[in-house]
Amino acid sequence: MTGKTEDREVEFISLMLQRAVSEMAAEVCEQCGKCASGCPVSRHMEDFNPRRIIAKVALGRIEELLKSEEIWTCTSCMKCKERCPENISPYDVILVLRNMAVRAGLPHPESYDQTIEAVVDNGVTQEPLTVRTRTGERHDRSSLSLNPIDKPQDMEEFKEVLLSIVEAGKPR
Amino acid sequence: MNSVMVIGGGISGIQASLDLADRGIKVYLVERSTSIGGTMAQLDKTFPTLDCSICILGPKMVEVDQNPNIELLTYSEVTKVDGAAGNFRVTVHRKPRYVGESCNGCGECAKTCPIEVPNEYDEGLGTRKAIYVPFPQAIPLRYTIDRDVCVECYRCVEACTGQGNDAIDFNMTAEDVELNVSAIIVATGMDRYIPWNLGEYGYFQYPNVLDALEFERLICASGPTGGNLVRPFDGKPAHKIVFVQCVGSRSQRLGVPYCSSVCCMYATKEAILVREHDPDSEVTIFYIDLKVFGQGFQDFVDRARDQWGVEYIRGRPGEVREHPYTGDLTVWYEDTDTGIVSKKEADLVVLCTAMIARPGNTKLAEILGVELDEYKFFKVKDPLSSPVETNVPGIYVCGCCHGPRDIPESVAEASGTAAMAAGLIEVTSKEDR
Amino acid sequence: MKYALYLGCTIQTEQYGCEISARETLPRLGVELVDMVGTSCCGFPAFSSLSTLGWWYLSARNIAIAEGQGLDMLALCNGCYESLVQTKHNLDEDSNLKAFINDKLSKEGLEYKGDSKIVHPISLLHDIIGVESIGEKVKKPLEGLKLASHPGCHAIRPSLLGMPDKAEHPEKLDTLLKALGAGTMDYPEKTDCCGSMLASTAASTTLTITAEKLKAVEGYGFDGLVTTCPFCFQMFDGRQEEINDMIDFLLDTDSDEVELPVFYYTQLLGLAMGLKPDRLGLQLNMSPVDRILDKIEEGPNR
Repeated sequence: MTGKTEDREVEFISLMLQRAVSEMAAEVCEQCGKCASGCPVSRHMEDFNPRRIIAKVALGRIEELLKSEEIWTCTSCMKCKERCPENISPYDVILVLRNMAVRAGLPHPESYDQTIEAVVDNGVTQEPLTVRTRTGERHDRSSLSLNPIDKPQDMEEFKEVLLSIVEAGKPR
Repeated sequence: MNSVMVIGGGISGIQASLDLADRGIKVYLVERSTSIGGTMAQLDKTFPTLDCSICILGPKMVEVDQNPNIELLTYSEVTKVDGAAGNFRVTVHRKPRYVGESCNGCGECAKTCPIEVPNEYDEGLGTRKAIYVPFPQAIPLRYTIDRDVCVECYRCVEACTGQGNDAIDFNMTAEDVELNVSAIIVATGMDRYIPWNLGEYGYFQYPNVLDALEFERLICASGPTGGNLVRPFDGKPAHKIVFVQCVGSRSQRLGVPYCSSVCCMYATKEAILVREHDPDSEVTIFYIDLKVFGQGFQDFVDRARDQWGVEYIRGRPGEVREHPYTGDLTVWYEDTDTGIVSKKEADLVVLCTAMIARPGNTKLAEILGVELDEYKFFKVKDPLSSPVETNVPGIYVCGCCHGPRDIPESVAEASGTAAMAAGLIEVTSKEDR
Repeated sequence: MKYALYLGCTIQTEQYGCEISARETLPRLGVELVDMVGTSCCGFPAFSSLSTLGWWYLSARNIAIAEGQGLDMLALCNGCYESLVQTKHNLDEDSNLKAFINDKLSKEGLEYKGDSKIVHPISLLHDIIGVESIGEKVKKPLEGLKLASHPGCHAIRPSLLGMPDKAEHPEKLDTLLKALGAGTMDYPEKTDCCGSMLASTAASTTLTITAEKLKAVEGYGFDGLVTTCPFCFQMFDGRQEEINDMIDFLLDTDSDEVELPVFYYTQLLGLAMGLKPDRLGLQLNMSPVDRILDKIEEGPNR
């Protein structure tokens, strides 16, 4: 496979955005509102509305979206994707916008960065927790007779490869 | 010779037949079901004038029956067509009714019949017997036995003989008739989209969710509840009605991509009927665009909104939910004008489903040699310059068999095809001399 | 029936009840669970949001490990399941992408071929094992219990990827509950989200979504809520106490507290098979499950 990782990464992201704008949003969305009607977040937060997100994408107001908090409050339930009569997926568009925001160096929820760091360093999102029972006892994996968790075998290689992908296309 | 075959006995077929017969041209009107009338016979009122549908259609049906130039071949289908314009040789397969022509429609047979099944006329909301006429104004007024459900108890035969008649004949067989006609007019009408892949509306799961034609039967005085708006779930009165537009229409993925033309208007019509029946009712129509392109249509909608208090909200509902114990429905929607997502409680939800081509079009098109379009509607030769001709000279189409349209348009097209067929006969009979 | 067991992060690091009950019950139904070596996070939802290629890479490497074992994958977590299925779909459809990912995988000595299937526990139990086989193992039917099924968003959507159950009015988890002798019923909120993916960005909205569903299920008179997904379980079970602490605020009205027992399906499966609660990790459920456990313990002749 030719080409630097960075170039391929950028190429893929651009392609996804192109599809999001041309195929998914601008061409066929009638602004019917079926996506927002089923959306669990829209019911509770006026600021989040998948229909409006698609409208903004179709109108080219990408920067506004990238800087917004709106694109970070989707709960990934995919009801919008499932029900859209025109095969548009606001969920997929939102994921593309999130990826773009990160690459543009724009602010985004810290918790995602923390999770990524944890996976890069350890292969999993957190170290195994000690949990409570209903009666207040504490247990960990071993006291529950569970084997230690599984992790990538060659952590160094794993970390290097993963980082190279994650960092590609980000602003220096 | 010098006759025309009209395939399909709905309003389009009826109009074409009457126009031709009035000019002295012989018409063979072939209808697949047991009576002519078609979808218009099932409607309560028509838009935008709110005329009673059967009151307009009924007299025309009677005229068809009594006109000496029209030969009615009901419960029949066209199975073979050879020849060309001016001389088509058509084979018509006549299914056996098991009830002869001496039937006078007295109905004593049906009274004694023990088998009751959901009826087609009321879209399954009402019932009929194994021996039946589809509706009181049926033409011909002759009973038919549905052998699929008949248990052959012969009580009907006894009842008929008791009236001094013996019209019932279980030994009747199908018949194939060969006819020569100069021209053929296809007027086979429409079918409705069943929302099988729109589970979010609960059409199959929730009894209080109906499609528009089922609702029309419910609100019609000749319907299963005598026009009383009740909820199928528990029979209680239905006061809050919600209409959902574009169910299956205007969708790349879930139905058909085109607009079905008549739904905004018939939803408005049905909404007004509800408000007329019940001043306590609350009616909401959820739409994307209001297709009010015809004469008087915008005025109709304005009246519905301003005088009758019908609520119009722009937004395609996402889901309809039923409370498992009460049967009450909740419709989640976004009002796209305000961007606010909320829910509406309803007793009934009416889905205005897409108008689609009849499945029988494929076979009939093959028999006739006529082309279909990508949606399996009959294809006209050219929508601008030859809007009722097909690729086969001498075969014409009118009404919904070539796409969604309303009654006035269908009637106009029917007259158009009648004129063309008559013109063809004039030309070919001159050639014969 | 032999599967590479893919647990993912949440189950391995927190939701031990899910793993314990699965390992205890599935082998008794003839399923051999083979441990995988060298797995990592599947990438959902952090990588899918911040680095799509990183997401696909992570999911692909886990599939590659299973393929190396010559096995299909059983993914117990809904999030992992959807991640793996989506990645598999993308790589199978786009040979360019597949080549790119395989180039990366080769550095870890892995290769994605597309041989392994990804199986969800609901498919495994309903379609592969079958309700008859499950019924045969039931010693203590859950009679008299009416349980609400919550398949979770990623077991039913998006249907174009071919999910275990229908997106609207899904029935398989209900059928599986009936196979255990329990009663169930369709309810309006069945396909609603648990809200967990919002937890890091809109904390109170998340809990509102969860609270509303809990309240609704309780309101219909269900004795308990059942799911297979650890994210959903974490919300409904683990955070029920937290929800109760601020329920008036979340529901924007004076409300009674929610007292709804929440289970993993495999936990109920184990109980119906006659296994003791401690073998199924039930001591770790934080919702009020004891009253249900007592009922089941007494058996059908109570």
